[in-house]
Amino acid sequence: MAKQPVAVTLDDVTRVYKNVKGRPDVVAVRQASFEVAPGELVTLLGPSGCGKTTTLRMIAGFDLPSSGLIRIGGEDVTNLPPNKRDTATVFQSYGLFPHMTVAENVAYGLRVRNVPKAEQEERVRRALSLTGLSDYAERSPGRLSGGQQQRVALSRSLVVEPGVLLLDEPLSNLDALLREQMRVEIRRIQKSLGITAVYVTHDRTEAMSLSDRVIVMKDGRIRQIGSPSTIYEDPDSVFVAGFVGKVAFFPVAVEGLEGPGCACVLHGKTVRAGKRAPGVAAGKPGILMARPESLRLGAPGQGVADGTVRQNVYLGSSVETFVTTEYGELLVQVDDPAGKRIPAEGEAVSISFNEARVRVLPPETE
Amino acid sequence: MPKKTTILRFLAALALFAAVDAWVYFTLRGTLRSQEARDSESRLTLLARSAPADPENLDTWLASVPESLPGGAAVYLIPTEDPEAYETRSSDEEAARLWDSVSGGADAAKGLESAYYFENYASPQRVEYGGQRVRLFYAPVLDESESELLGIAVFLAPEAGNRTLERLFALFAVGTLVLYAALSGISRFARDPTVGYAVVILAGIAGVFIAYPLAEALRLSFLKEGRFSLEIWKDVLSGAHLQALWGSVRLGIWTASVSTVIGFVFAFAIHRTGIGGKKFLSTIAQLPVISPPFSLTLSVILLAGNNGLITRQLLGLQNFSIYGLSGLVIVQTVGMFPIAYLTLAGVLQAMDSTLEEAALDLNAGRWRAFRTVTLPLAVPGILSAWLLVFTNSLADFANPLLLAGNYRVLSVEAYIQVTGRNDLGGGAALSLLLLLPTLTAFFLQRNWVAKRSFVTVTGKPNAKLVEIASPRVRFALGAGVWTCVALILGLYGTIVAGCFVKNWGIDYSFTLSNIGEALTRGRDAIRSTVTLAAAATPVAGLLAMAAALVFVRKTFAGKRVLEALMMTPFAVPGTLLGIAYILAFNKAPLILVGTSAIIVINYVIRELPVGIESGVASLRQIDPSIEEAAKDLGADEGTVFRTIVLPLVRPAFITSMSYTFVRSMTAVSAVIFLISARWYHMTVLIYNFSENLRFGLASVLATVLIVIVLGAFALMRLLVRDTGALEKTITR
Ligand SMILES: Nc1ncnc2c1ncn2[C@@H]1O[C@H](COP(=O)(O)OP(=O)(O)OP(=O)(O)O)[C@@H](O)[C@H]1O
Ligand SMILES: [Mg+2]
Repeated sequence: MAKQPVAVTLDDVTRVYKNVKGRPDVVAVRQASFEVAPGELVTLLGPSGCGKTTTLRMIAGFDLPSSGLIRIGGEDVTNLPPNKRDTATVFQSYGLFPHMTVAENVAYGLRVRNVPKAEQEERVRRALSLTGLSDYAERSPGRLSGGQQQRVALSRSLVVEPGVLLLDEPLSNLDALLREQMRVEIRRIQKSLGITAVYVTHDRTEAMSLSDRVIVMKDGRIRQIGSPSTIYEDPDSVFVAGFVGKVAFFPVAVEGLEGPGCACVLHGKTVRAGKRAPGVAAGKPGILMARPESLRLGAPGQGVADGTVRQNVYLGSSVETFVTTEYGELLVQVDDPAGKRIPAEGEAVSISFNEARVRVLPPETE
Repeated sequence: MPKKTTILRFLAALALFAAVDAWVYFTLRGTLRSQEARDSESRLTLLARSAPADPENLDTWLASVPESLPGGAAVYLIPTEDPEAYETRSSDEEAARLWDSVSGGADAAKGLESAYYFENYASPQRVEYGGQRVRLFYAPVLDESESELLGIAVFLAPEAGNRTLERLFALFAVGTLVLYAALSGISRFARDPTVGYAVVILAGIAGVFIAYPLAEALRLSFLKEGRFSLEIWKDVLSGAHLQALWGSVRLGIWTASVSTVIGFVFAFAIHRTGIGGKKFLSTIAQLPVISPPFSLTLSVILLAGNNGLITRQLLGLQNFSIYGLSGLVIVQTVGMFPIAYLTLAGVLQAMDSTLEEAALDLNAGRWRAFRTVTLPLAVPGILSAWLLVFTNSLADFANPLLLAGNYRVLSVEAYIQVTGRNDLGGGAALSLLLLLPTLTAFFLQRNWVAKRSFVTVTGKPNAKLVEIASPRVRFALGAGVWTCVALILGLYGTIVAGCFVKNWGIDYSFTLSNIGEALTRGRDAIRSTVTLAAAATPVAGLLAMAAALVFVRKTFAGKRVLEALMMTPFAVPGTLLGIAYILAFNKAPLILVGTSAIIVINYVIRELPVGIESGVASLRQIDPSIEEAAKDLGADEGTVFRTIVLPLVRPAFITSMSYTFVRSMTAVSAVIFLISARWYHMTVLIYNFSENLRFGLASVLATVLIVIVLGAFALMRLLVRDTGALEKTITR
């Protein structure tokens, strides 16, 4: 199943659902532009209703952009119906054909493409063994477990050797353990085939662990595109910072820009941040973000904020300490807790941060 | 948005097609006109030849000219000594005056000159005669040796021209242009042309075979001798016909009320109490739904008619008559209470019996639990059942036709107006009048009652049964239900018995001769009935599923309108549809009356709504991503329909096909207007036999029909059963 992988490009794509019965128009996707490189797995990540599915359905051809262009492998496919596109979709509800066996399901795409019978059989066999379903070929999909149905759907899409594989929350119907297994499996197969893939999820762990790059969306708008580490370490907005991981925010006034970071005033004290996002300017307010692992606990009065410990959660390799402060409840992660003193619950502490690792963001406008 | 070049190319192609289309049209019309001109000239020449040589007979000839030349006249000129003067004779005063006014002109001179050279002259001049434009045609009248000019005939001939044919050409030209524009537009601009084509085809079918005939019926009810007039409606809304309307409504109210009560008793007894033989009872209670028209009436006449077995032979009643309202209520109730039963059975089955249990727990008596919980919850269902039976009773045609006697109902009135008085417009108006109460009931049921019943009746369909009937009540219910069932079986038994009786009412000796005679005389009718129903069946099934798919899964402009239009035949009484079809299809551009096509089309159109509904219901249960997955894997719309949709909606597909088959086999109200000598229908033959008191023959045919219908249903059961497992996986 080796085929030259192709790129997917969205150019200023907008999808507006016209108002129904007096309700205002819904802009499901607003001026989305991005490119998925050949062989890359890109995740669309965002809260419910942010337009992920709509974006994916436009790539597959089930939905039409109101404006903008979609290209697959350089060819403009904006107006092509799904059956003429080099894509294959794995649906959230699988969409298996209940009146066919597993093998017939998988063979369907080859059948409608008039692939010779012998080749069909060979390819179906290979696709099923790739997903570990060889023993289930003659079963009816209705009598398979959720994870097995998921694999059937995946084999059915892979067997036609699509240029682009599209997956819409493929794991959301599975239980936690199975989800983890399938996640690894999908990534393994995608890599081994070198296939271009777009993956939709609202689960940040899934997005982080699977993707080459993540596209974070909100309210139909793309908020940031980057590798998982960029999105986590260097988000460009308060929304992205908060959506992809636990974080503490401190409102600050930006004093001046310094190299890649800036100096700012927090509660009358000048602090330095090693990083800053585009849009941060001197003399303007900003938001300083710190991940739990870049926060430290100290004696009261020593840090940037004072508070009391509300709860300690022991996780083995780390302890998560929840501290109630004037900035709300902040989470401090203490790594390798053995041999460190963990303040007891109810104890007064102060919080300080590792200046090199914190980042200043522009305030959220909406 | 399509690209500009695509639009330009489309417009260019359209213009080219329009040019060719117009060229073909004008060429055809030109040919037609010159052909007609030649025809009319040779006719006029012949007419001139027929002019008598003897001037004595001229007046008779002149008077006879309008006969061979409708709307025309002639002037006859006899040459005199003076080459400039003629003796003039003419058909009438107006012609003479006309000739006076034109004879001095240059054109007339030219015509006369041609005549002197023994040649015809068709003048380009047009004049008014008798209120229409006529042309002048000069023809010489020669003696036998064709050497001497006896006279000159000047014909005032109405403009030749076959308007209908010309209009047909024009319609054709415009039609092809529109069709071309639609189809090529779809193939160029639509992303998925198949859907576009499907919509165009459905819209075409709905337009031509539903909207057009109904519109024609409405239009023609406002015409009298080709002009707009309210006369028909004045007549229809006068006392006599209004009485028939009231008759229909009264019958509807009676039948609906009695049927609902019986239907409720059946539904309650079978689904809410522990009486025995439920399955059998339920089957028998559904039997009359599929029984052919006339069969129950026939049976009632055999038992209680003027020479009925019970009324005359057993009881010796003299002045009893089953004909009229009471008889009608009886047969209609037997035939229609199953509708109420099925509706109410659904409601009672879906009702959560824990509610009743709760009421009983609160120490309410059984009767009280029934009255305060069961009954109020069933009210929407009861109303729904009542309205459904009411609509059916009003649209019923077969039972009143045989059994009404002097009682008047609209559907029969409309039939008599058409067949007895040959008044199609009047018949149309009468059946349109019938639409008033039927549509009201239909919409009430659809939009009000049906919706409410969904709100109130919730819960698990398999909730455990709570027996709220006391043993005594249960016994009474059981007795009532079993009596009804015995009555139904007795009625069917009577029909079968009728097959073997020599002369019912007079001579009850056993015979087999009815069977032979009925099968011989009915052979053609049986064959054509089965053929036509079988032809309609797959067409209706496929069309219904395709329409359901389009309605459930696609969005396009005008979808609601198309949907409503396709569902219309469901609410329209068959009588109206039948009359509308003869009105619309006995003339250009679509002359179908007398063909088998009109009957098949009528079947398909009438049964489509039910098929579409079941298709829609079953598609709604299928996850759309199944079809999307197929498309995604490279299947086009047609392939998806064939390989995914049809197999998945198979139960609905088969059900709707067998439904179409059975309903077409037992059709009468519409088809009675559409049959011809060649394409006859068994039901009409049964009616004819009954009318002629040949009850034995009628019984045989009714039995044959019942057997065919039951066979079709058994086959359907067989085909649908093994799909039960499938349905479950679809709805997972
Ligand atoms: N057919 C439609 N008609 C009107 N509005 C729609 C339609 N489909 C989606 N929307 C709207 O578009 C927006 C984006 O929907 P979309 O399905 O893309 O969200 P999503 O990101 O996939 O959400 P989820 O995570 O819940 O699946 C939503 O506000 C939704 O209500
Ligand atoms: Mg979604």
